[in-house]
Amino acid sequence: MSANKTILGVQELTVGLRDDPSSRILDNVSFELGAGKVLGVIGEAGSGKTVLARAIVRGLTEPLTYEAGQVFCLGEDIMSLSPKKLAEIRGNKIGYIGSNPAGALDPTIPVGEQIVEKLLSVSSGLSRSAAKDRVLDVLTAVRIPSPEVRFHEYPFQFSGGMMQRVMIVDALVTNPSVLIADNITQALDVTVAAQIIRLVRELRDKFSTAILFISSSLPVVETIADEVLVLQQGKIIEQATPSALIDSPQHDYTKSLLARLPRIWGPEISGPAASDAPTLMAIEDVHRTYLVRKKGTFRGMNAVQAVRGVTLDIREGENIGIVGESGCGKSTLTRLLAWLEVPEQGTIHFAGEDLSQLSRPELTKLRQSFQLLLQDPYSSLPSRMAVGRIIAEPLLIHGNLKKPEIRDRVLEAMNEVGLDQALENQLTVGLSAGQRQRINIARALVLEPRLLILDETLSALDQVEQSKLFELFDRLQKKHGFTYIFISHDMALVRKVCHRVAVMYLGRIVELADNKTLFEDPVHPYSKALLSAVPTLDDHPFKSQEYLLEGEPPSPVDIPTGCSFRSRCPVALTKCETIDPEAKILTGGGQASCHLVDENQPSPNYQVAAAV
Amino acid sequence: MDGSASAHARKARRLYLLIFLSRRLLQGAVVLLIVTFAIFTLLRVVPGDPARLIVGGMAPDEVVVQKAEELGLNDPIPVQFLKYLGEIARGDLGNSFVRAKSGSMGGAVAFDDPSRGDRAEVLDLIVERVPLTLQLAGLAVVFALIISFPLGVAAGLNPGSWKDKLAFFAGSVFVSVPNFWLGIVLALLFSVQLGILPSIGYKGFEYTILPAFVLAIEMAPFIIRTLSVSIAQVMQEEFISVAPLRGLMRSRIVGAHAIRNASIPLLNLFGIQLGSLLGGVLVIEFIFDYPGLGRLTINAVLQRDFPLIQGIAIFISGMFVFINIAVDLAASFIDPRLEY
Amino acid sequence: MSDTVTKNEPPRHVASTAAMLTPTQRMLREAWSKPSFKFGFFTFTVLLLGALIYPEISSIDPTKMNIKARHTPPLFVGDWSWAHPLGTDHLGRDLLVRCLVGLRYSVLIGCATVVMMFIVGCGLGLLSGFKGKFTDTIIMRITDAQLSIPMIILAIAILGVSRPTVPAIILVLGLSGWPLYARVARSVTLSEKSKEYIKGQRVLGASDWRIIFLFVAPAVLPPIAFVAVLDVARMMIFESILGFLGLGVQPPTPTFGNIIADGRKYLINAWWIATMPGLFLLFTLTSLNLMGSALEGARNNVLKGAA
Repeated sequence: MSANKTILGVQELTVGLRDDPSSRILDNVSFELGAGKVLGVIGEAGSGKTVLARAIVRGLTEPLTYEAGQVFCLGEDIMSLSPKKLAEIRGNKIGYIGSNPAGALDPTIPVGEQIVEKLLSVSSGLSRSAAKDRVLDVLTAVRIPSPEVRFHEYPFQFSGGMMQRVMIVDALVTNPSVLIADNITQALDVTVAAQIIRLVRELRDKFSTAILFISSSLPVVETIADEVLVLQQGKIIEQATPSALIDSPQHDYTKSLLARLPRIWGPEISGPAASDAPTLMAIEDVHRTYLVRKKGTFRGMNAVQAVRGVTLDIREGENIGIVGESGCGKSTLTRLLAWLEVPEQGTIHFAGEDLSQLSRPELTKLRQSFQLLLQDPYSSLPSRMAVGRIIAEPLLIHGNLKKPEIRDRVLEAMNEVGLDQALENQLTVGLSAGQRQRINIARALVLEPRLLILDETLSALDQVEQSKLFELFDRLQKKHGFTYIFISHDMALVRKVCHRVAVMYLGRIVELADNKTLFEDPVHPYSKALLSAVPTLDDHPFKSQEYLLEGEPPSPVDIPTGCSFRSRCPVALTKCETIDPEAKILTGGGQASCHLVDENQPSPNYQVAAAV
Repeated sequence: MDGSASAHARKARRLYLLIFLSRRLLQGAVVLLIVTFAIFTLLRVVPGDPARLIVGGMAPDEVVVQKAEELGLNDPIPVQFLKYLGEIARGDLGNSFVRAKSGSMGGAVAFDDPSRGDRAEVLDLIVERVPLTLQLAGLAVVFALIISFPLGVAAGLNPGSWKDKLAFFAGSVFVSVPNFWLGIVLALLFSVQLGILPSIGYKGFEYTILPAFVLAIEMAPFIIRTLSVSIAQVMQEEFISVAPLRGLMRSRIVGAHAIRNASIPLLNLFGIQLGSLLGGVLVIEFIFDYPGLGRLTINAVLQRDFPLIQGIAIFISGMFVFINIAVDLAASFIDPRLEY
Repeated sequence: MSDTVTKNEPPRHVASTAAMLTPTQRMLREAWSKPSFKFGFFTFTVLLLGALIYPEISSIDPTKMNIKARHTPPLFVGDWSWAHPLGTDHLGRDLLVRCLVGLRYSVLIGCATVVMMFIVGCGLGLLSGFKGKFTDTIIMRITDAQLSIPMIILAIAILGVSRPTVPAIILVLGLSGWPLYARVARSVTLSEKSKEYIKGQRVLGASDWRIIFLFVAPAVLPPIAFVAVLDVARMMIFESILGFLGLGVQPPTPTFGNIIADGRKYLINAWWIATMPGLFLLFTLTSLNLMGSALEGARNNVLKGAA
């Protein structure tokens, strides 16, 4: 057999909608995947990527239908197989991993059992115990800790990253010839996603599987693919090796795609510079712990330490970013900043007032000045209210103005955010995500606040909408002098917009620095790991080989003694196990909690000015 | 090795089970107490004198008063209740006001008739009847499932199709049928006209069939609807649409995964519907003169047989508590995400 | 995952005019398009109008006995005389008129009971769900206790003592059924309370009461409205059961229950006495149920955005 055997051959595959004969979700797609090769497919939202993944395995659901084309896998014509044969091929020869690991398996059956079930369905003559052994072997190969225990656990007991590893096991357990990876890192944190990619690369080497790697992110695909296809509106418009694609793109769309990639590092890339301005909001050593009933005891409670001593000052007129991955306490901190919950320790001052000391009416009045913008454009708006009413609601609550004045303000706000005034009496059904977020913004604007907290507000939008809304934020800031707090996991966004950045890990701010320092010369090992995992085509100053972490953050119930990061830190010292580093102020105004800063490594430029 | 890790997990689960059970039993006891007190008070507050009923309408007033004294009916209600609780703690549910140990009912006899002496023990009366009622309920559940399962599953798997519409229509009709009326009509049809099934009393298992069928028709619409809705919902879940891509066959997906996930709402339904199920049993037993707990209850209430009514109330409440606990346990065995 | 957003995008084919109607209006419009709803609606209206009008315009008195005409069979069984279209009972009373009068009581008691349960149950459910903790536990225990007492027992105990009146019947039926409303109201309250936009309202400064009235209550009403419509049917059945056991409205006023109870004795030679009222009930309730289910289907479609 020649080493260049074609595992997967797709010829003129065309998919449309049943009700609309002229629609083309996939248009004349053809490509070949050779044994042991990795073929990357990139495309934006709506380009047809997932449809392609499903179409190849004959997994389309209504209303999508096959219009034309053929798919050959190992010589077999997929479209003409009997259901039984098809199931066999799907299980045995083709491995499929989807983008949502949490929903991929039956939540009521242990994961190990389900993988065994799959194995037994597609391989005849395999005994149950042999199947179980095989599953355990592969679980170990993907580096899931304690595989024998986790075999019996249920999907909800796995974090996103771990569950995706389980799905990789599920796909590879039959040693398939081809693996279809459909956007497998989309739902994961940046460092976890980087780990998964690294894992897939290793497994490819080990199992020599051909891989069809689909993603919306070119930087991700670049690290793994031998060749890349660019998909636009169902058509393949360019095919090249990653380096050829990046260095000399042929098609205009590819060029625009490359141009729109967020840049983080490069000769002329920089973010806004921090300035000294009076403090608008001062957060002093806030703590927030949740008590959760402990399973297995009568009244025992577990203490989930979501926020453990955060100190931060928000300066007037600046954009400050708070970044971190799942479980770092961002969401809890957001609720504290919006005063939806009260810290059990520490204080928050806004415009000089201690929020905990205010009476209810005083607090309600002050609330007008700091507002929260939520993430999900759909669930953040009441579904039964008209747009105008939604925007007017805050004014009605605070009862300052009369009806006609309220209406004027509402229309003015709608104008400012770019909403058509005709929408005033319409319900929110049918509005796009971008429009909905604008309603959110208008609603916050109407009160003339000074501070806006944006909780992943732009994550739900596509890139085009994101940039439009950015301009809006910018304009509003220039006009009204707003201060923004950006809570985000998107480093590229933060790089572009924020003056200063705080990095959170397990409920603490481990580093706070201005934009330039954080991205070019961070001090804390976690910051470096985070930056090393960000997918970008730029030259990473922090290579993942050196800095990428293993494993996942410890549970906030069980925080390691000493420095909470030491269990994953690649450069931990012995003193890190016992002594919790304090936040040290550095020259330049940043702060970091790390013993290494003490020891003057690895950036000798920074001197410890004074302990906080 | 597998060994110690899963053994530890098993031990933890067992401990957790114990804690769950004790907590629920405690809560159940509270509910039981409330129900008992409610019925106790209700009986004594609502007009109608049991003492008079017992001694008979002809008895002179002093005898009635004496009887009332004897039965403790003149004490204030809280005192009576506490005395009652004390007796229960000793396992004594009291004696019927009305029924004699021989099985006959003393109500119709003159007040000074000696046969009025021996009253049947409430506990015995209840225990005697329970098996028959369980038989009725059990058969009814079986019939209900036979009718509802195919309809419900077919409807859930094919929303919008004729199967769905049929199930919907069948459900609507079943739920609109008054159970007692259906019992009468079916008795007319099968017993009187066709003569193939017996309908009054109990002289053998076949006497359970017709009543169970009527009960089943009463239960069926809820099962059909719950099943079709929950199966339709489960089929929309992501893991069901991903399963064929992993290589599983449809029969396996539906049988092992869809039905499994859909059965939890069904279990919950059972717990919720218990009350109305019991109401149905009472009426059906009354109509078919089926000698189970239901008929006993109705007669007891009509005769104002306090101890018997209270005893039955406690028993039924207790049963509800147990069944609800069992339902929750079963649900959490199926779906481990449910916290007991 | 904080960065995975549920993209519940509305499907593209929502009519642009649909955005102008409130969800309730859209739901009604959608329901009307279903044949089952139309059938149910017409049948119910006809029956209700018949019950209200016919006994008034007919010269026959439902309680007057006419021994000469006793046990006349219905017109399609006997000799097609229109004097007594559904026949007469053992005392010669016209069955059609009796059934229609009985229908009046059924519907009246059914609706009144549901209104009572609605108010009590929703109120308690909202309170329980919103306040939580102690209030919640207490109300839930009371609900459990109430559910453990079967309606029949309650009915016999309360109504079996003296002449049952319509208000007493409504009270007994209402007591037995309110827990369902409380439970539904509570679960909707709990789920609505935790939604994102409520968080947003709190940040804007809205008070608890404002949130309850503007947002939670309107969310509770639709599911309960369904329960209510279907419950009218259920209460009508209960009313007939009570009548059958002799605990309902007393003779000579005709109700479905007592007509059937009487008719039971004459099953062999005059089967129609017991059968006709049941058929009336069957039709009335089926039409109610068809309407209720069609509305529910319509509501689901509206929520999914397909209408």
